[in-house]
Amino acid sequence: MRRKIAFVAALMLIAFTGLQFIRPKIKNPPVTADIQAPSNVEAILRRACYDCHSNETNLRWYDKIQPVYWQVAAHVNEGREGLNFSDWKNMAPAEQKAKLWESINQVIAGAMPVQNYVMVHPSAKLSKDDLVILKAYVSGMTPVNKPGDTAKINAQMQQLEQWQNAKFTIGKLPIALNGISYMPDYKNWQAISTTNRFDNGTLRVIFGNNIAVNAMKANNIHPWPNGTIFAKVAWDQVEDNEGNIKTGAFKQIEYMIKDDQKYASTMGWGFARFKTTKLIPYGKTALFATECVNCHRPQKDEDFVFTQPIKN
Amino acid sequence: MKNVVWILLAASFTIAACNHDDKVSLINDQAALPATFKFDTLGLKVMASFANKKYGTMSVLYANGEGISNAIKGDKKHSAGEVRALVTWGQQDDPSWFGARIPGSLKSVELVKISTNTTGLITAYAKYSGKNLLAAPDTLGQEARIKYILDQQPSIMP
Ligand code: HEC
Ligand code: HEC
Repeated sequence: MRRKIAFVAALMLIAFTGLQFIRPKIKNPPVTADIQAPSNVEAILRRACYDCHSNETNLRWYDKIQPVYWQVAAHVNEGREGLNFSDWKNMAPAEQKAKLWESINQVIAGAMPVQNYVMVHPSAKLSKDDLVILKAYVSGMTPVNKPGDTAKINAQMQQLEQWQNAKFTIGKLPIALNGISYMPDYKNWQAISTTNRFDNGTLRVIFGNNIAVNAMKANNIHPWPNGTIFAKVAWDQVEDNEGNIKTGAFKQIEYMIKDDQKYASTMGWGFARFKTTKLIPYGKTALFATECVNCHRPQKDEDFVFTQPIKN
Repeated sequence: MKNVVWILLAASFTIAACNHDDKVSLINDQAALPATFKFDTLGLKVMASFANKKYGTMSVLYANGEGISNAIKGDKKHSAGEVRALVTWGQQDDPSWFGARIPGSLKSVELVKISTNTTGLITAYAKYSGKNLLAAPDTLGQEARIKYILDQQPSIMP
């Protein structure tokens, strides 16, 4: 018996040692477009995020031991793909701001920095004070509406004119790269909420189809039943001198379709986004939905849905 | 070696380890319209959405099919049978997105109905206030509210 245990232990040791030689690569390419932020903000990002979201990954000896290293490498490569502070200046300013608001929200939700990483790297844990600093920093980037903004009003009027002349009539429905089609019928669905997104200066209405509305009535939304569809429409904000914020130009429409089999690889939801009144499908490859999933992931306890629906 | 074992163990406590208590409610209860009001039986669709910074409110304006097609035409003409309903809430911070505000407590529903009598088009206005949407008897400023509601432009929906 003793010998058997010793044999198994020896086998495991060999396997463990062998594992050390099978290593995915983590490269640290040169940093050419690093984020520029106030030093206290930068210090927080470096301490808590840079190992996975920059080209300055600093692996400690214990990160390099297999099988931990596999997970570390996956985290770094996946993390850099969605957000890389070393490539910051290569993004458009609007995209930079969106990534910062998303980052703060991932921290508030407890999704970032990754939990098991923090356990092993306690210095990455963010305190309440750190969060106050980050919140103040992004709040300083809140867009300010110019009352009676003529450029925005003109864009809206142009769209309105097209609408009046029935120029929105669409022949073939646009289809996103994952096969999901634009669904014009959302206009007949019920509004289940509305949001004033001051982080990016938009107003939104979230619609739910009949299956969604019936599920709400029956308090059966955890999880939402298959067949549920949400549509979210976003418009520019147009503000007047009285503080009225109204919808300006149509920016985009997004859908989420629940089917836990068909869309198992994207958390049970099929995602699609169509931009401008031309309804141009968003995304360069079918993998565009990873971006949707990554931002919706902190809502996993709410079936990946942000909206708290309103019954009427 | 002890160290390594500890780290391996720690690393294996993956997602299971994080469980947040600060869960937000699944339904926005304070914004709900009372079921007894039967808003859904009015057969209305979304026409527009807006907010007001001064009053800290958010609204969705609904209309029936006629109301929406009149609004799209944009010639300020109205027709008998047209119905509009303006639902207004106080705003609250979105508990799941820092950077957004969503409807908070329900403030009012205002109904505008257009019909005809022998003299032409007539407009009826009714306001229901508060969480329980009780009929509000005061008629002060009614004309201004009717104008406000009828003057709204439709939100662009391709
Ligand atoms: C241990 C590695 C690790 C650390 C540390 C880490 N992240 Fe992440 N992050 C990831 C991975 C992996 C993903 C992609 C999958 C996911 O969401 O889990 C990700 C995704 C994200 C996303 C979504 C990006 C997208 O695809 O749109 C944001 C935003 C983000 N992280 C912000 C942060 C911030 C801010 C910090 C520091 C406070 C941080 N992360 C620390 C690994 C990490
Ligand atoms: C940066 C974060 C982020 C990304 C990326 C993102 N969403 Fe969302 N999504 C949100 C937030 C926040 C809400 C809540 C409503 C609001 O305030 O806009 C939301 C709501 C929605 C809703 C309404 C249902 C719900 O969950 O509340 C749909 C539909 C939706 N998103 C589709 C998409 C699609 C499709 C994509 C990808 C093409 C996407 N989203 C990417 C943050 C994001």
